[in-house]
Amino acid sequence: MSLPENAIEVHDLVKVYRPRSGAPVTALDGLNVNVRRGEIFGLLGRNGAGKTTLLRILTTLMPPTSGSVTVLGRDIEREGLEIRRNMCVVLQENAVELFLSVEDNLSTYARFHAIPPDQIRGRADRVTERFGLSEYRRQKVIDLSGGLKRRVQVAKVFMVEKPLVFLDEPTTGMDPINKRATLDAIREQALAGGTIFLTTHILEEAEELCDTIAIVDKGKLLALGDLPTIKSLIPSALDISITFELLTDEILADLRRLPFLTFSRKRNTIDACIRSDDLSLFQTLARLAQSQRVLHFEVRSATLEDVFLELLSGPPSPDRPDRGRIS
Amino acid sequence: MTMILAVMYREYRIRTTSMTWLFYDLFMPLTYLLLFGIGLDRAFDTGLSVGETTVRYNAFFLSGVITMACFGIAINTSYGFFVDRDNGIFFEFLTYPMTRSEFLIGKILFNCVLSLLQALLTVLLGVLLLSIPLLWNRLPLVLAGVVAGTAGWFFFLTTFALRIRRNDMFNTFINVAYFVLMFASSLFYPTEQLPAWLRAVAAFNPMTWQTDFLRFATIGSGNGGVVFAEAAAFLIFLLISFGAAVRTLHRGILR
Ligand SMILES: Nc1ncnc2c1ncn2[C@@H]1O[C@H](COP(=O)(O)OP(=O)(O)OP(=O)(O)O)[C@@H](O)[C@H]1O
Ligand SMILES: [Mg+2]
Repeated sequence: MSLPENAIEVHDLVKVYRPRSGAPVTALDGLNVNVRRGEIFGLLGRNGAGKTTLLRILTTLMPPTSGSVTVLGRDIEREGLEIRRNMCVVLQENAVELFLSVEDNLSTYARFHAIPPDQIRGRADRVTERFGLSEYRRQKVIDLSGGLKRRVQVAKVFMVEKPLVFLDEPTTGMDPINKRATLDAIREQALAGGTIFLTTHILEEAEELCDTIAIVDKGKLLALGDLPTIKSLIPSALDISITFELLTDEILADLRRLPFLTFSRKRNTIDACIRSDDLSLFQTLARLAQSQRVLHFEVRSATLEDVFLELLSGPPSPDRPDRGRIS
Repeated sequence: MTMILAVMYREYRIRTTSMTWLFYDLFMPLTYLLLFGIGLDRAFDTGLSVGETTVRYNAFFLSGVITMACFGIAINTSYGFFVDRDNGIFFEFLTYPMTRSEFLIGKILFNCVLSLLQALLTVLLGVLLLSIPLLWNRLPLVLAGVVAGTAGWFFFLTTFALRIRRNDMFNTFINVAYFVLMFASSLFYPTEQLPAWLRAVAAFNPMTWQTDFLRFATIGSGNGGVVFAEAAAFLIFLLISFGAAVRTLHRGILR
């Protein structure tokens, strides 16, 4: 069988939860999205946007209400087992055997993924080394800290090589060093040809790692594309940082009149995001600089976080016009 | 097969982390037989009349104890779903490359091994310590009854363990179910002397079916035809429960 170009194809996907108490919840509302083979795909969105719901459907944990979904060319409802043979998952919720040792967690996982027993030890050595778990190998997971438990859970998927890896907020609770190790491991897996489907709230992580980014909100796709495409959604926005020798109330009042996309102040410094076609800031700044010395002035192009905030924070207002949205 | 072995291996690793648990599993029925059984054996000093024969209470109760033991292991195993759900590992299992049936079968095979050890231990010590007149040539039937019993009760309880989300509600369910199943059956006493309504309930109780079969297999009491009809009924109960458990695993967990 020749492999399809898209690892995942989602068409008009709807998921309605029907809780035993309370009204039905439409978690996915006509979602269309494709994930190409071999890419790192990042799914972003606010809490409750529907990310985990999509991941649960793609990993065959839960059937969709309607719509069609294929994973690695196979139908999600009829060929679940074949799909599961070719994927592995880090769920958002903790999933570790609390009463087993780190080593046993890794080895039982490997057995479930049909790794020959004689290979398990060597793999466990490499994985524990990589995720800084060597010294905890024989400890029961119940006795480990929260971040370490998460590391065990993430480390498990690197015991096996599958064409498709799902990661729901994998680095939650990890320290920066292990976060780095995790990102490196993910990138390596992608370089070896794997497709990675990732959700995260850490936007720098998505910015650094993902080939394609999708932003969902209320179960609908808000934006989809590579990083430049996503960034172009807020036309040439710029991040600026200005430090005055003394930031007086008059200067602050002047600045506040400008149409910033975001604005924050810390002592004598303001951090803000503006549209680059809006020159009013520079004119105002030139005027203000005559009355008060500017110690530091820095301009950067917008980050993914700016786009995220712009697309998702509240309804459009007169000074924050609705930007071109694509889907 | 790899997957079933993987599930069994996992069950084995989990069980052997707690020696108390394992010990309890293996010796619980024996304790029942020795404490409760001996007490009643003395109380009914002249024996119990079952059909046309008279048997000692110890001998009568042996099959009841084995049935209880199967049910006990099934409770522990189905309760494990709650532990797994709390650990979050339960949902991860469902993303592993195995079918839902393989998952359940792996779990039950391991527990059947445990049940068999437990039954052998109970029977052996029952014969040695309490001089129960066991029909050794029917031992294979006892073992078959143990395997089918453990599996039947496990699949039956699994459906509830997966549907009831709260641990305390499942506890209540188990207590009530166990109470009714146990006392409206032939587990502790022959059903012949029961009032008609209770006898009718007992006749439709899978716990009676399993116990009668085991009693026939251990000490030979009961009518062969009736007992095998009961065994057939139990197998149907087992298959229906298995179907319901697999179905629940497919559709009933996240909606
Ligand atoms: N089992 C469930 N029953 C009912 N509603 C649910 C269930 N799971 C999720 N929901 C609802 O569906 C919506 C989407 O939830 P989902 O978990 O997919 O969000 P998410 O994007 O992963 O959020 P987060 O970033 O917080 O993880 C939410 O409104 C949530 O309350
Ligand atoms: Mg989520």
